[in-house]
Parts: sequence; structure tokens; C-alpha cells
Amino acid sequence: MGTNGAGKTTTLRAISGFLGIDDARVTEGAITFKGARIENRPPHENTRRGIVLVPERDKVFPNLTVAENLAAPVAPAAAAIERRRREALAYQFFPQLADLRHRVGGLLSGGERQMLALASGLVCEPELLLVDELSLGLAPVVVADLLRRLAEIRRQLGIAILVVEQSATVALEVADYAYVMENGRIVLDGTAERLRRHPDIQEFYLGRKSGERRSYREVKQYRRSRRWYG
Amino acid sequence: MQLIVNITVLAAIYALLACGYVLIYRVSRVMNMAHGELAMLGAYLLYTTASLFTDHPVGAIAAALVLSLTVGVLVYVALMRKMTGQMVLAAILTTIAIGILLRGVIVLIWSAAQQHPLQALKFSNPSIELIGGARISTCAALMVLATVAVYTALFVFLRFGRWGMRLRAAGQNPLLAAQRGINLNAIYALAWALSTLTGSIAGMLIALDSGLDQTMVVIGLKAFAPALVGGLDSLLGALVGAVIVASAEVLAIHYVDPLLSDVVPFLVLIAALIVRPWGLFGTREELDRV
Repeated sequence: MGTNGAGKTTTLRAISGFLGIDDARVTEGAITFKGARIENRPPHENTRRGIVLVPERDKVFPNLTVAENLAAPVAPAAAAIERRRREALAYQFFPQLADLRHRVGGLLSGGERQMLALASGLVCEPELLLVDELSLGLAPVVVADLLRRLAEIRRQLGIAILVVEQSATVALEVADYAYVMENGRIVLDGTAERLRRHPDIQEFYLGRKSGERRSYREVKQYRRSRRWYG
Repeated sequence: MQLIVNITVLAAIYALLACGYVLIYRVSRVMNMAHGELAMLGAYLLYTTASLFTDHPVGAIAAALVLSLTVGVLVYVALMRKMTGQMVLAAILTTIAIGILLRGVIVLIWSAAQQHPLQALKFSNPSIELIGGARISTCAALMVLATVAVYTALFVFLRFGRWGMRLRAAGQNPLLAAQRGINLNAIYALAWALSTLTGSIAGMLIALDSGLDQTMVVIGLKAFAPALVGGLDSLLGALVGAVIVASAEVLAIHYVDPLLSDVVPFLVLIAALIVRPWGLFGTREELDRV
């Protein structure tokens, strides 16, 4: 979680890898996955390693059909049985997509598009699925449904899922563990249970007032406290 | 009738050359300005293999095709790969440099004199009489057949092939393609290989029909017009563009002046750019992005 510009997308992009066109690279620090250093590796390598990103926007191929969107990630050399198994994985968790098989990605609604994006991520067989802004432009009902499916995927496939989510209420309901980012740093982390009861989260993210009214000046002062920038 | 035959043959030449421009542009947004030179190199490779395997024309042609495929991959791996992700303009300038380099190298190796791969292969090129008294040379007829075959193969490959699908995916959104595990370098190398192969087939057939020298570069450049007229990212567009440009050129030669031959394609190009800058079948948004 975190406000706009906190660095959530940048963090996910850095983990997933940059292309030359992005004109970006990790200059400091290390990113390790299962014991291997992976910073500044190309995205397709990280995907094969098991780190799969569902990006914030442009998350499906607009001129490819749903079926093609789900087939493109599978290596062309893969055997037919393997291809069918991976495709079945997508339809298992998102059965609605089966009816949309022949529709092109660009003509899907926002909710369908997000489903296709998550499904095409699953087809890559992730061990770590990164989902950027799950709820962007979607109705709360749709978001709640998608989060339930993600929880189901995690339960059945046993993979790790990292979701960037603006809406703290929803995020803290399904998550096991949460991180709060501000200005490019993680300022708070803990189990969802603990964060839900944390006074700062209650006040800044869940919008509940704790105690008496405070002026904005005091709030800023409070934010700058040592605890947040440790 | 003869006019229609002439238009068909010229359209086939243009279409076969234009699909190479389209393939590379479609996957990487780069205009390959060395395409004419690469086609010419393919023709010279055929001339050499024909001189080497004097008694095996089929082997010579096969070897030349494999070599041109290799050339395409090599050009990508050695030069264009470093341009991936750089400014598109830089990549286009690199292709222009490759073109100039190739022209120089070809003169150094094969000299500037006209060569005749047809004789080297010990083939003859009799003209065939068609209905209505029109005539077509065997090589020109082969050219039309090759174009039909290449286009059919490309359509099937792009529509139904698993690599073709990845090619389309990478063209639409390279970043997402990479995030879905598609190795962009392999895709771009494939596009360069196919582009150079089809271009070389065109170059070889032109050389068989009318001899081989540096003027082939001009044909390659003229074929850029139909690719643009049709819309740079559309194969169907390249085909239609080729018919339009070839018709205009043949009719101008027949009814006005043969000297117009090298001018007409570019007149059509300018007219098309003014009326419909993204081409007949091109994607409009492509233009906004540049």
C-alpha cells in the first residue's frame, strides 16, 4: 500500500525487470529471488524464473484474442499436452474467459481485461505473482471478486502473490502480510491483522479518526517522526 | 493483356520486397533502409553458389537461401541488437549505414560489372505465351508464383503459427511480451531472418530474369513506396500498395514516357502520404506515436 508516487510500481517493475526502452536500471542495492541475484535481468528471464508481473496498464495484447493472449506466454516448442494443461489453469480460475475465447483483448471490459491479465500471468506458471494496481478503474464489487479469486489461487497453487492496492480496507482483508510505502521506502510492515489495528493505518489509510481532532500541521509533524523514517 | 501481365509481374516484385519492410517494421518499428542492399546481397550469394556448385542448381539455390537467412540473423545479432531499445531514429540510421557498407563490400567482392546468375546456373529463361498473345518470361512467372507462395505462407504463419503469434504480440507491446516470457531478441532475429529471406528471394528472381548489378538497390528503394502506401504495419496493405504502385508505373511507362519508371512510385508515395499518411491498411495510432 502507499500513496501515489510512493514507489510501488517502480518497485514491482524493478523486480520484474526493465527493457532498454525504459531507460531505467537498478543502481543500488540487490534483488534476490531464491538465493540468486536478479537485478537488471531482462523481464523474460525473470518470468521463466517464476516472477510474473501483471502490469498496471497495457496488461493484455489488444489485437490478440483471449485464447491467443493465453497461448502467447507458452513456449512454442512446448508439447500439446503441456499447452493444454497451462490453458486449463487459466480457465480453472477464470471460467468466464472461456466464453470470450475468440474476442480480441482490446474489446474486453475493464473487469474482463483484468481477469485476462491475471490469467495470462498464471499461464506463465509463476512462483511469485506481482499484481500492480489490481483495482485501477474497477468497481468495488469486481475488485472484491478478483481478490477472492487471488486468495483461491494462492490456496490451491501455493504461490506467493504480491498485490499493490490503493484501497487499504480491501487489501488488509485478504492479505496475510502488508507493507506501507512512502517516498520510495517501506515505512511500515507487519501482518495484515496487526496493521489493521495500527493507529497510523487507522488514521491515514482507513480514514478513522483516533481521538480528538488534529490540525494538518500536526499531522505533517507526526508523519516526519523517527518511527516513519527508520 | 500484355499490360496486365506487366502490372502483375511488377506488383509481384514490389510485394515480395515490401513484405520485408513490413515484417521488421511491424515487430520493432524500425524501417530497414538496407532492404534493397540485402536483397541484392542475396542475389550475389546465389551467383556465387551457382558458380561453386555448377552441376547442382537446386543445391545452389538452397545454399543461397540458407545463406541469406543467416545474413539476416547476423545483421540483427551483430548490429541491430545493440540498437534494440535505443531511439528508433538511431536504428534507422544504422540500417542506412549497413546499406552503404553492403554496396561497397559487394563491389569489392563481385565488382561492379553486370553478372548473370542465370547462365551460372545453366538455366534458360524462355518466354511463355499466355492467352491473348501476351508473353511472360519463365523467371517472371516464377516471381509471381513465389510472391503468392510467400504471402500465403506469411499469412498462415502470422495468423496460426505459434511463433507468428509471438511476433504479433511483440509488435503490439514489447514490454508486456517480455513480461510474458517472450525473448524479444529471438523475435527480432526471426523478423530479420524472414525479411532478409523474402527480400533475397525477390533479389534472386530479379537477377535471374534481368541480370545482376547495383541497380537492384533502386528497385529495393522503389519497393519502399508500396510498403508505405499500404501502411507499414500491414501485409495486406503491402500487397494492395504493390498493385497500386505497379499499375501507376506500368501505365505511365506505356502511355506517357518510359523515363517515368523511377519517378512514378515516389509520386504515388507522396500523394498517398498527403491523403492518408498512415497508409491504406496501416494503424492510425502508429503515426501519433512517432
